[in-house]
Formats: sequence, C-alpha cells, structure tokens
Amino acid sequence: MKRKLALPLLLLSLFSSGAIDSYSQGNAKINPSVQLQYFKDNEENSILKTTLTYSKNRMELPLKGMKIIFYSGAEKKARLSEITTDDKGAAVYNLNQGSDFLINNNGFWPFAAEFSGNDTVGSGISVILIKDVTLNMILTEKDSIKTIMVNAKKKEKGKEVPVSGETVTLYVPRMFSFLPIGEAKLDESGSASVEFPSSLPGDKEGNITILARFEEHPEFGNVEKKSTLKWGLPSTYAVPAGHRALWTKTAPKWMIYTLSILLSGVWGHYLFAIISLIRIRILAKKHKVEKKELFIK
Amino acid sequence: MLTEKQLLQDLTPEIERTGIRWYLTFLIFFLIFCVGIYALVQQIMKGHIVTGMRDNVVWGLYIVNFIFFMGLSYAGALLSGVLHLFHTGWRKPVIRMAELLTVISLVIGPFFIFFCIGRLDRLPFLIMYPRIQSPITWDVIAISTDLVGCFLYLYLSLIEDFAILRDYSDLQVKPWKKKLYKFLALGYTGNEKEKKILSNARNVMAAMIIAIAIIVYSVLAWIFGVTLQPGWHSTIFGPYFVIAAVFSGTGLLIILMYIYRKVYHLEEYITKRHFVNLGVLLTIIAAFYGYFTFSDYLTKWYGSIKMDSMLIDKLFHDYFSLFIFANYIGILLPCIIIAFPRFRSIRSITIAAVIAVTALWVNRYIIVIPTLETPFLPIQDTRPDWIRYSPTWIEWALTLAGISVYGMLFMLVSKIAPIISISEMKQEDKIEIMK
Repeated sequence: MKRKLALPLLLLSLFSSGAIDSYSQGNAKINPSVQLQYFKDNEENSILKTTLTYSKNRMELPLKGMKIIFYSGAEKKARLSEITTDDKGAAVYNLNQGSDFLINNNGFWPFAAEFSGNDTVGSGISVILIKDVTLNMILTEKDSIKTIMVNAKKKEKGKEVPVSGETVTLYVPRMFSFLPIGEAKLDESGSASVEFPSSLPGDKEGNITILARFEEHPEFGNVEKKSTLKWGLPSTYAVPAGHRALWTKTAPKWMIYTLSILLSGVWGHYLFAIISLIRIRILAKKHKVEKKELFIK
Repeated sequence: MLTEKQLLQDLTPEIERTGIRWYLTFLIFFLIFCVGIYALVQQIMKGHIVTGMRDNVVWGLYIVNFIFFMGLSYAGALLSGVLHLFHTGWRKPVIRMAELLTVISLVIGPFFIFFCIGRLDRLPFLIMYPRIQSPITWDVIAISTDLVGCFLYLYLSLIEDFAILRDYSDLQVKPWKKKLYKFLALGYTGNEKEKKILSNARNVMAAMIIAIAIIVYSVLAWIFGVTLQPGWHSTIFGPYFVIAAVFSGTGLLIILMYIYRKVYHLEEYITKRHFVNLGVLLTIIAAFYGYFTFSDYLTKWYGSIKMDSMLIDKLFHDYFSLFIFANYIGILLPCIIIAFPRFRSIRSITIAAVIAVTALWVNRYIIVIPTLETPFLPIQDTRPDWIRYSPTWIEWALTLAGISVYGMLFMLVSKIAPIISISEMKQEDKIEIMK
C-alpha cells in the first residue's frame, strides 16, 4: 500500500514543486551579484572594476548595458562617475581621473559601486576599503645568483610606512598561465628576497617577464609590479625545416606513400572495371552494326 | 534446369505490379521520414541544443547509427564478395540482397554524420583543407572510395539482368522503365566476349570490395582506436569492428531474406537451406565476435587503469542491462537457437537474426556513449545533463527517418531490379535450390 501511494505522491510533489518554481521564476526579478575590485598596475595607474553578473543554471552570466554608479566614501558618499557595463558585465572607472578621495578614520579609501536595478534586475551594491600601497621590485644578479627583491610601503597619516608580514607572490607568464616562482614574505622593513630559478626558458634572446603581486588583498586589493630582462634561457621554437609529424603541416612520408599506394591500387582496379564497361558498350555497338549490315545484305 | 522464361515469370511480377500493401507500407515509411525532416529543421533552426549532445558527450545516436549502417554496408560487401569469388553453390538467390545491403547502407550511413555536424557550412573544409594525418580525412577518402566501388560492383552484377529485362518482350512495365533498362544494359548482348569481360570485371571488383570493406571499416574503428579515450584505445578495435559488422550484416541479410521471401512469395527460391547456411555463418561469427568482446574487456579490466576501471564500472552499473543484452544475450541466444538443429526453423533463425542485429546496435551505443561519459579531466560544472547522455525526440525521429528511408530504398530498388539475380539463376538446377 505504501509503495502504491509513494509513486503518485512523489509525482505530485515533483509537479507541484516544479510548478511553484516555474511560477516564482517567471515573476521574480533577477538577483544580481555586484563585485567591486581595485587594481593598481605597473605604471601606478589605479582602477575600480565592477562586475555585474547573475546566476542561471549554476553559471555566472554577465549583465551588459547596466548603469553602475561609483562612489568614494561609505557613510558620506561622493559620486565619482556612472559607467555602463560591457559585454562581460564589467564597468571600469579610472581612479586617476579623480583627485582626492574620501578617507575614513582608519586611513582607508572607502569605495562603493551601486546598481540601482530596473524592471527585470534587482538592485545591488558592493563596498571595498583600500589602502594605497607602493610596491617596488629590484632585480639583482651577483655571482650568477639572480635575486628578486620586493619592497612595499603604505601611507599612514600622510607618512610612508613599511608593509610587514604580508606575502607578495612572484610569477613568470607562460603560454597559458602565470607560473608561480615563489612567495616573498615581507619583513619589518617591508622587504623580502627570493632567488630566481636559473632554468626557466625565455624567448629566443632569453627575455623573461617577472611579476610581483598582491592578489585580492583585503587591504591593498590587486597591486602589480613587473619587469622584463634577460634572465631566461634563450629558446628556439622554430620547427626544423622538413620536419614531418602528426602535428606538422606536412604529413610523414610513410603516411603519404601508404595512402598513395592504397588509393592508386584501388582506383586502378576501378578504372579497369570502368574500361570493361566501356569495352562492353563498344562491342555492343559493333555487334549492332554487324547485325544491321547482315540484315541489309 | 531453370529456364530464363520461367525465371522471368517468377521474378518480374514484383517489377510489373505494385499492390496496395506496398503503397501503404511506403506511405508509413514516408510519414516517418517527414517527421524526421521536421526534426531536422528544428535542429538546424535551433542548433544542437535540441539534441542530447553536450560539450562532454559530443557524439550520440547519430554516430551510433553511422557506425551501425556503415558496418552493415561492409558486411554486405564482404558477404557478396566472398560468396561471388568462392562460387558458393547456394549463393545465387541471396547475393543480390547482399549487394543491395552494401550500397543502400552506404548511402544512408553518412547522412548521420551530416546530422551530427554542428556547422555544416564547414563541411567542404574537409575536402578543401584535408590533413592526411587526420583519421577523419582517412574516413572521408575511405567512404567515398567505398561508395564508388560498391556502386560499380552492384552495377556490374545488374547489367546482365538489365539486358534480360530489356529483351523480355512480355514485360508489362511503363516505357520509361524499358528505356532505363536499355540505357543501363549498355547494349549488352551476352556473347562470349562480353561475358568474359564482364566476368573479369566482376571478379576483380568482388576481390576489391572485400579488401576495401576491411580497410574502410578498420579506418572507422581507428577513429576511435587512435584516441586515448578509455574503452576506445585498443589495438584490436579494427578487427573487432570488422567482425562485429559481419555479425550484424549477416543478421540483416537473414531478415531481408525473410521479408522478401514473404512479401514477394519467393519460397521456391529462398529456402530453409539459405537460412540455415547463413544462420550457421552467423553462429560462427558470433563466436568470433564474442571472443573479441571478451578479450577486449578482459584486458581492460585486468589492466586496472583508472579510467578503464571507471568505464567498466559504469558499464556494469549504469549500463548493466544494455551491456548484458549486447554482449551476452545478443551473442549467446542466436548461437543457441541456430546451434541446435531442432530449433532451426526459418522463423527462429530470423528471430535470432533480429536479436543479433538489435544487440549489435546496442553494442555500438555502449561503445560510443559510456566512454564519452568517462572523461579524463573532471569537468568544471558537473550538471547531470552534461555528463549523462540521453537522446532527445529529435535524435530518435532522425534515427527512425533514416531507417524508414532505408526501407523505402529497398522497396524502390525491388521495383526496378529483380531481387534475385535472373542471370545468376539461369543455370541453377531447381531441385538443387529446393534442397
């Protein structure tokens, strides 16, 4: 009896929950996700980037063409700009455009990005607190030992003080991603050193780019310093002329020979069969003419 | 001895007259075909999202059908070539069916590839920018070569019959058919010289299509075998595919014999002897096929490579019933039915053949799908519909449409050419056939 009831109840619950779900999905506004990030690049250019997305079928999809308002300050807000999101749902505000930003009691720059919503998409806001940091990287070579020294300073009450106890990650860009080559833990003077591995290949002249980064740091955001120099091993990527492989433009010779022999063998026999058909046709015509001549005689 | 006149009287009525049942069957097939066209339009308009194929399982029913039909074709080629070359005594009434099986399967099979391709506009690139290293290029070359060869072989075997039909004054057919026979007969008169030329050409082509069938189906197997995918990367995949093809082809030939015998009342020509002989052949091939299957899975299971183990685990759990049907019931049951003389009736042999053909189709399914559901790299978003493949109605509709066109072509061909070769049967002793 229980089993008999279980199936209809299960079906009923499935249908009813499905119906409720589809109804609520049909009427509810999209709940967006607003993510505000701070970036500072090698040339000390700072930007605020807001990414507006929404979740559908467990995928984050961008919301393009939405107006994002950037603010400086948290409680007391000063409007910086209004920027529309691009195809990737991103709106970027260049901080160098502004001059002075509001600073809170702890010496942080509070920034906010707000999306006020529309008929179909709900509103959202994201706030971050950033402390301006200056990251430096010095590359030295002594007795063939290559050393990367990083140094970070932040501003506290108008003075520059060293950043201590934080980690700067070092990378070398490779073809598909950044190869981590070490982590530099900053000491009390705000400095740290990491030995550069001597076996990394660079371009054909040995050029290699080294990146030092604070990544998604809760205080500094994303800060990057990079430098290119001849610390890599020179590499030649040229494929030797005449090299044949599965992945080259020209196929291996054995493959071409095998295919040519096979195809010429098969098509040769086809040709024989076609010639046979033509011969039958010719013979038939000849036979017809002979028959006609015989008839005339 | 069977005379030409007697043969013509027995075998041409199917060409001369078309009954209401023929039209009704054709109409049913045509309606299924129309549903398939509607499904195809949906697929072209909306894209492959309407199918069950996704980023992970990129091959589905279409590829299964493609391999299946190509297998039938190669089996037909092998059977007709071998029967012709070895002058097997009982071959004459069935050889034409094997030849038709070859060509019609070969015409239908590649259409499933077209259904599977997302960007049909890029199809010419296969010919415009071929890479000899690519197994897909091998397949394009192989199938087109095979298609030409099989058509040529079929045509060579039909010439004499076309000439006989052209010269048969009592043949009650429409004038266009008479003209067609005249054109296709190439003026063949049947004198000794012509006979010799035709016989030589047929012998050469029979040998050729056997070789091509083996190579071409091996190439198709290598498309799977040269990848490192679990379940596909196997050195025996070439011969395994060939033997499996012959298994299904023999089965379908038995089914065709049963249908044509029943529909066109060919009981005097297609006898129990033909069914038993082909049934025994089916049993022998089933033994080989079973041996290959066991060998393939045993080595994979014993090797215990992580991905192979995962695949075998999947086959014995998620695909348990299909696996058991394809590899146990589908092999053993036909063997049992045919191996014991007391079970050997025409009907039971045909049932065994139906089981064999269905099992082989399922075997193709469990070769293609579970492997794609066992990726080497874990996929980021593990949504069930991305990992598990289940065909949609669009795919089923196109599959059924393919089968219906297959049926329609067999029906149409039987209205143009005799389904039993008159020229082959001319010298046949009627008592010999009836044995």
